[in-house]
Parts: sequence; structure tokens; C-alpha cells
Amino acid sequence: MSKITLENVSYVYGEGTPFEMHALRDVSFSIRENAVTGLIGHTGSGKSTLVQLFNGLTRPMAGRVLLDGADIWEKPKQIKQIRFRVGLVMQYPEYQLFEETVRADIAFGPKNMGLPADEIEARVREAAELVGLDEALLDHSPFDLSGGEKRRVAIAGIIAMRPEVLVLDEPAAGLDPRGRDRILTQVREYQRRSGATVVIVSHSMEDMARFCDDIVVLARGELVMQGKTDEVFAHADRLAQVGLNIPEISRVCAMLRARGIPMDEGIFTVDAAARCLERLLGATDGEGASTR
Amino acid sequence: MKGIALGQYYPSGSVLHRLDPRMKVIIAVLYIVTTFLAKNVTAFALLLVSMLLLIAVSRIPLRIVLSGIKPVLMIMLFTMVINLFFVGGERLLFEWKFIRIYVEGLYQAAFMAIRIVVLIVGTSMLLTYTTTPIMLTDALERLLAPLRVLHVPVHEFAMMMTIALRFIPTLMEETEKIMAAQKARGADFTSGSLVSRAKALIPILIPLFVSAFRRADDLATAMECRCYHGGKGRTRMTVLHFHLGDFVALTVFVALGAGLILANRYGFGFSM
Ligand SMILES: Nc1ncnc2c1ncn2[C@@H]1O[C@H](COP(=O)(O)OP(=O)(O)O)[C@@H](O)[C@H]1O
Ligand SMILES: [Mg+2]
Repeated sequence: MSKITLENVSYVYGEGTPFEMHALRDVSFSIRENAVTGLIGHTGSGKSTLVQLFNGLTRPMAGRVLLDGADIWEKPKQIKQIRFRVGLVMQYPEYQLFEETVRADIAFGPKNMGLPADEIEARVREAAELVGLDEALLDHSPFDLSGGEKRRVAIAGIIAMRPEVLVLDEPAAGLDPRGRDRILTQVREYQRRSGATVVIVSHSMEDMARFCDDIVVLARGELVMQGKTDEVFAHADRLAQVGLNIPEISRVCAMLRARGIPMDEGIFTVDAAARCLERLLGATDGEGASTR
Repeated sequence: MKGIALGQYYPSGSVLHRLDPRMKVIIAVLYIVTTFLAKNVTAFALLLVSMLLLIAVSRIPLRIVLSGIKPVLMIMLFTMVINLFFVGGERLLFEWKFIRIYVEGLYQAAFMAIRIVVLIVGTSMLLTYTTTPIMLTDALERLLAPLRVLHVPVHEFAMMMTIALRFIPTLMEETEKIMAAQKARGADFTSGSLVSRAKALIPILIPLFVSAFRRADDLATAMECRCYHGGKGRTRMTVLHFHLGDFVALTVFVALGAGLILANRYGFGFSM
């Protein structure tokens, strides 16, 4: 079942000026319900432009955006309701914080939904817990937090609206590896718990391979590929053409295969490679190698 | 917002774009003075022709030029009406109750309109459409450099201008992003009472100020790290040189001024 469908969508910035920029050209694809979809592409390929169409922040110049099969622009006055259903965490969301306390900031979205106070409080706590924010932090000023914490506050602010679709634009950008893993794991966990549909934008193939069920590849505003993660990564040559590399570990496996070590095809994560190696080593000398 | 230069700079790559910005400032001043020299029909016709030529040379689409005149249209109409109805004269053209329109008034109104249009279009062709604000600031700094003798901090003013100009598009982009982020959380800036709309600005203004201060701080540190200490003894990366084209342009405009003076004297038609 597809949750969001794009039909022949195009988007142009600065139409009719000398700075005209075709950010999206005739893009059509759909996003599967209850799955984590990764949107990959180089910087400037139109990923951010695309995700802002999902929740009606911008309106496509041509084509339609369907949520559960209905055009989101059918009733332009109701577009706010779409924004509560499709929660968008923008790129570098830590710069949108403004309230005096973390609690109040996370509550901004739910408040705009017109929820009762106790419901808001419950949601704030739940969202903070989901993104791993300590309860003691709730009464701090968001401006006193570290960069990673600020970002988690911003993500919690969207999760607190309990959107049916959670879209995150480069949630891991600018974080250290541990912070990245943490945020992506939490997003995955949120998906599992809530059953929501999740879209993650990234240009890191490694991250995408580990956390996404489906992959959509974008290059220069056009759709290049879409499919299950392993299907997409199987087309390493096509990805290389648009300047994206398959994960490092997949290349290592390919090199090992070239040297006659029978590694499985379709390995995209270090864990999978370790399991495969363990199996191979176990088969040769009966002694389990330690992972990593 | 990205890619939209501040003001109306329109990169059409014309000869005017390539002129030295200092010369363009000088010529613009000259052209403004010239506009006020015109006195009779011949002179105004000459002025009009020079403006059309200027538009042609700039290679800026007429549509853009016209949209630049739009803001002053009301002022223009107002001056025309005033001139039309209140300038007295000898040759009565039209009379109806207390309204009297004289031929002199008609000419006067037309002259005023031409003058306003030429002023606006001329300066924008020479400056705003063909010169980036940064280049303009640079040119002004150098043209005003002699004022340093009088202890006018010319360089500092120019640097402040440059920085402000540099950051206006950045701040506009930032505002747009923050607005989008708050809209994504259900903020509404377009409906409700005046008070609620003013309140809706808080989620935009606070992050904007926070980031503006952060940027200012970063910039100051970065400038200090690179030993910036004001204008004294500072050399430039891009040194402007006058080229032959600049002097040709100057000559053309001086000739226009001279032509206008001659037209005033020997030309024909109504003279104000
Ligand atoms: N507000 C804007 N105004 C003009 N051009 C823009 C704007 N935002 C993005 N662009 C341009 O559109 C293209 C796609 O940008 P974007 O969607 O941000 O890509 P990505 O998120 O994949 O890096 C880029 O070339 C970018 O320069
Ligand atoms: Mg982006």
C-alpha cells in the first residue's frame, strides 16, 4: 500500500527570472506504508525541494502529490491538516527552536493542533523519551543544549504531533558517528513502535543501507531509481553514473570475491559482512572469529 | 531566494555591465544633471532617445525595465495632473467650467513625465540593473576616498555596507527556512487577529536573531583571525582599472550633455 504518491511532479525556483532553476523534473514514485524509505542524492539534486512537497510547504508547478490516494492540494485551505499528518523535520532543524524551555518548544506543534493541555504534556514526554532526551532537560532553555541535543529536541517537536508520515531531511548531517547512529536508530525504533511511514533524506549510502527498507535515488532533479534497498544497491554501476557509490563494505566484499573468497552477493552492512565471514571461517577451521 | 541578487541586478552581460563601476557612478551623476538641463522639445526628445539607446545597450528586457518604473507611476501621474491643470499660459486649449488647460501646461506635464522616467530608467540602467551592490559600494568607497583627509571613516562605512549587503540575502533565505520549519509545525502567519498575527512572528524572530548574532560573532572572529584592522594600509584583491571603454562612455555622455545645451539654444519647440 503506498502512503505518498507523486505524479509527474515538477518544481521550478525563480520562474521567469534569470535565476530560474528547475529543481525537479517530472518526478513520479510512491512511498510504501509502514516502511522506512531512504531518499538519496547528491547535494543539489532536489531532495529538500522534494520533501517540502510532501507536506504542502510548497506546491508543485506541475503534477500531483497524493496522500492516501487523495490530492493534498484538493482543499488548499486545509493544508495545515496535511502538515500535521506529514511531519517534516527540516535540514538543520536546531535553528528553528525559539521557546524558553525545551518542553514548550516540543509542545509548539501539538499546541497548534489545538490539543488539550494534558494530552500535550503526555505527548511531549513521550516524544522526548523516544528521541532519548533526559527528562531533566525539559525545563532547560533549548539554547543551552549541545548541537546533538538541540537536534533531538527539534525532532521531538515533530514526533509530538504523532504524524502518520515522518519525514527527516538529513537528520544526521553534521553529527559525529555516534550521534548519527543514535538518531537513526531512534527513528527506526519510532517507526517500529508507531507503525508510521518514515522517509529519511541522506547522501550517506552506508546509513541508508543500514536503516532503510526502500531507496529512492534522485539526481539533478530527476528520479534515477526506486526499489527495495538490496535491489537498488545491486545496480552499483548505475549509482556510480550519478556520482553515488555503493557502501564501502560492499566494495570490500566484491574485492574479496574477486580474490576467490566466496562472500555472498548483496552485502551492504558491516554486520552482514561479519556474519558472512564468520560463517565462512567457521566452515574452514571450525573456530568462530570475533565480529568487528 | 537563493541566487536572487539583492536589488535588481540583471546579469545580461552587456557593455554596461563591464564598465568600471566608478565610471558608472560618475556618468550617472552626469546623466542626472543632464536631465535637468533640458529645456525645449528638441532637448527632451534627445533625452528620450538617449534613454532608449541606453535600454537597448543594456540588453535588459523591456518587461523588467517597465516593472522598474511601476513604483513611481503614481508620482508621475500626480505631477502630470498638477502641471496640466495648474500651469497657466496664453494658448488656451480646453475649457470646461473652472478647468482650464493651456498648451503650456500640456508641454510642461509631458516634460515632467519624461524627466522622471529618464531619471529612474537612466540611473537604474547605469547602476542598479548593471552593477552589483557590492561593486557599487566598492566604487563609492574609492570615489569618496579623498574625504579621508577630513577624517570621514570612508572605508569603515563601505565595509559596513558591504557586510550588510552580503548578509541580506542570507538572512532572507534564513527567514524563509525558519518560516517553513514553523509552518511544518502548524504555525499560521496569515490568519487570525492582528494580535495573534504579531504573536505568530515570535517563532520566526527569535531564531532569526539568535542566528544573526551567531553569524555576526563568527564573522568578527573570522575577520580578526585574518588580522583585519580597518582600512589603513589595506591593499585590494581586485584593483579597478579604467579602460578605453570607460573613457568612450564618458565621452558619449559628455557629448550628450553638450548636445543638450546646444539643443536648448538652437533647437525648436516649446521651451520652459
Ligand atoms: N529557495 C531556493 N531558491 C532558488 N533555488 C533553490 C532554492 N532552494 C534550492 N534551490 C536550488 O534547487 C536545487 C535543489 O536544491 P535542494 O532541493 O536543496 O537539493 P538537496 O536537498 O538535494 O541538496 C539546487 O540547485 C539549489 O541550488
Ligand atoms: Mg537538502
